[in-house]
Amino acid sequence: MSIIGDILSTTRDEAPDESGASVTYLIRKANVSYGRLAKILETLVQQGLLEQTTSDRACKYRISSRGRDFLQAYRGFREFADSFGLRI
Amino acid sequence: MAFVFETALNLLGFVVGLALGIFSYIGFKNTGSPTLFRLNIAFFSIGIGFGVVGFGYMVESFILNYAQLDSWIQTLGIGIQTIGYFFIAFSHGIKSFFPKSRYFKSIIFPLFIIPGNSIEHIIRSISFILLVYGTIETIMSYMENRKRSTIFVAAGLGLLALGEFLGWYSIIFPKSILYFVSLSTKIIGLGALFIPISQVPLRGGLKLGGNI
Repeated sequence: MSIIGDILSTTRDEAPDESGASVTYLIRKANVSYGRLAKILETLVQQGLLEQTTSDRACKYRISSRGRDFLQAYRGFREFADSFGLRI
Repeated sequence: MAFVFETALNLLGFVVGLALGIFSYIGFKNTGSPTLFRLNIAFFSIGIGFGVVGFGYMVESFILNYAQLDSWIQTLGIGIQTIGYFFIAFSHGIKSFFPKSRYFKSIIFPLFIIPGNSIEHIIRSISFILLVYGTIETIMSYMENRKRSTIFVAAGLGLLALGEFLGWYSIIFPKSILYFVSLSTKIIGLGALFIPISQVPLRGGLKLGGNI
């Protein structure tokens, strides 16, 4: 769950340009393997939390409005779980 | 008079537990987090446990007009609450274990040869251990994150543990004020768990698939 939060946070706050963040950039930020990240990205795109864009023949990802709502809820409930000494 | 207060406190516990359960459920629906799912089960169980005692006593007293209230209602309610406390402790990483047959018999069989009211006290002592575990783990988390809301949760769990201890201790002084004090302490403890809710925006309605 925290990886999803990291990916969405990166695409929202730290994307290098308007077209979004590349897979290489996300691997570095989320600190996960390519195989695992690819599966997570596919699911996030299917769920409508991320939008896939193509820039300079490279696949990039940018957060959708649905993803922004999710990230806001995620951060709020992460605080709630933290208060119980738990990881969301 | 004491009966009315006890019933009112149990019903208050029912409402508070249910509110916390609904909030955790909203969190689970929004994020798909298994931790919030466990908290959702925990708070629903705690709320339902209070409700069983409160409504049970009300039905027996006002509808069935029983002069003597059944003790199994109390045992059932506390048992359901213990499930809730287990899920809070479980979220902190308790490893469940199922004893092998020889040991299993030595643990389970005594439960069937002891009187009914002793089961209540066994359940209370289990609740106490689970709550103390949850309190210690939450205090440890507070040492790491230094969040003010975490100390409120630790205090809440601690008060619930104290309430269970006082409830268990009332075996020595039955019919005393101890039960009332125990119930009040538990309600205050449950109320303290409300503090973190004030920090969460209730928005969205998303849920991720299970394949992540």
